[in-house]
Amino acid sequence: MSSDPVVLFRRTTSRWGQGTMLAGLVISLAGPMYLMFGLGYWPGFAAVLQAWGALAAVFGVLWIVEPITYYPMLGPASTYQAFMIGNISNKLLPSAMAAQNAVGTEQGTAKAEITTVMAIIGAATVHLVSLLVFVGFLGSWVVSLIPASVQQVFDYVVPAILGPVFIQAVMAARQRRTVLIALLCGAAGSFVLVPLVPSTSVYAMAVCAIASVLLSVLLRDTAESAAENDKSEVSA
Amino acid sequence: MNTPGIASSPILWIASLGVFVVIVVQSFAYLRAARRAAPAVGMSRTELVGAFRTGAFSALGPSLAVVFIAISLLPVFGTPAVLLRIGLIGSAAFEVVSAQTAAGTLGVELGGSGYDNGVFALVFFTMSLGGAAWMLSTLLCTPMLRRADRRVRRMNPVVMTIVPSAAMIAAFCYLGLEKVQTSHIHLITYATGAAVMAGLRVAAARLTVQWIKEWSVGIAMAAALVAAGIAL
Repeated sequence: MSSDPVVLFRRTTSRWGQGTMLAGLVISLAGPMYLMFGLGYWPGFAAVLQAWGALAAVFGVLWIVEPITYYPMLGPASTYQAFMIGNISNKLLPSAMAAQNAVGTEQGTAKAEITTVMAIIGAATVHLVSLLVFVGFLGSWVVSLIPASVQQVFDYVVPAILGPVFIQAVMAARQRRTVLIALLCGAAGSFVLVPLVPSTSVYAMAVCAIASVLLSVLLRDTAESAAENDKSEVSA
Repeated sequence: MNTPGIASSPILWIASLGVFVVIVVQSFAYLRAARRAAPAVGMSRTELVGAFRTGAFSALGPSLAVVFIAISLLPVFGTPAVLLRIGLIGSAAFEVVSAQTAAGTLGVELGGSGYDNGVFALVFFTMSLGGAAWMLSTLLCTPMLRRADRRVRRMNPVVMTIVPSAAMIAAFCYLGLEKVQTSHIHLITYATGAAVMAGLRVAAARLTVQWIKEWSVGIAMAAALVAAGIAL
C-alpha cells in the first residue's frame, strides 16, 4: 500500500464516491419502486418500455458521453460529487473554476483536484440548505413574497453565469493554441453542426468538448510543451 | 392544477431526505480526505477554506435559480419528487422532458386531466430511471477514465494540463453561443457578465487583492442579472 497522501486521497475519494453514488442510485429508485409495487400502480410493461425507449432516444448518447466529457474538467473525485448533485455546467463547474482561480492552482494538478473538491462541497452546502429551507419547508410561500419582476430576472441566470465563466476558462488556459482550437470547436458546434443536423443539439456540447480535447492534444504547441516539460523536469 | 395524492407519500419524503443524507455523508468523507492530502500538495488551511467559500458563494445565484424552478414545479410533482429530481441529481430541463415523455406515452398532459396516481407513478419512475442511467454510466466510466488518465500522465504529463482547458473552453463557448442567440436580453446579460468578469480579473491582478478573486464570479453574475433587469 502506498502512503503517498495524494494517492491515498484518490483512493479514499473514489471508494467513498462509488459507495455514496451507489447508495444514491438505489435510494432514488426506491421511491418509484414503492409506488409501483408497494401501492400497486404498475402501469404494465408496454407503458414502461415505451416511456423508457422514448427517453433513451433523446438522452441515450448523453448518458454515456456526459461522464466522459466532464471527467477532464472535474477530475475523478469530483465526477462522483457532480453527478449526485446535478446542474454541473451552470453551477458546479463555475464554482470549481472560481475556486481554482482564487487559490491560484494550475489545471490538471493534484492541488487543482483538491480545490475542486472543496469548491463543490461549498456549492453543495449552499445548494442543500437553500433547497431544504426554500423548497422543503417554505415552498410556494417564498415565491408569493418576491415580486414577479425580480423572479423574471432569474430566467437569465444561465447566460449571467456563462459569461463570467467563459472569460475565466479562457484566462486559465496554459496554451494560446488550445484557446484558439477550443473556440473554433465551440463555434463550429453552434454555427455548423446544430444548424445542419438539428437532432444533435442535445449532445452538441459533448461533441465540441471531445473534438476540442482531441485536436488540442494532437496539434499542441510542442515548443511550449517542451519548455513546460523542462520546467517540471519530467521527460516525456 | 391537480397534484396526484401519492406524490406526497411519506415513503417518497424518506427517499428524498435519504439522498440528502447521502450527499452530506459524501461531502464529509471528501472533506476529510481533502484536509489530509492538502499539506502534501502545498495547500494551506486558508486556501482550503478559501476554495470552500468561493465555491459556496459562486453557487448562490445558480442555487436560487434552481429553487425558483423547483417551486414552480411543486404543483406538478409534489415536494419530495421535486427535491429529489429537480433539486438533486437531475436538472430541471432534463427532468421535465423525461416527465413529459412519460406522461405522453399514456396520452396524458402533465398536470392536465387524467394526471392521476398511476400516471404520476410512471412519470416518477421514468425520471428516476433516467437519473439512474447517468449514475450507472458515471460508476462504469470513471474507473476506466482514471486508468486512461494515469497512463497519459505517465507518457506525457503536459497533455493532461491542456485537456481541462480544451474541454471547458469549447463547452462554454458552445453553451454561450447557444444562449446568446436566444434573445437580445440573453446577449446583454451574457456580455455584461463577461465584461465585468474581465474587469475584475484585471483589477485582481493589478491590486493583488484576494477577496476579488473569491467573489468575482458572484459579482459578475449579479451585475449581469441587474443588466437583464434593466433590459427587460
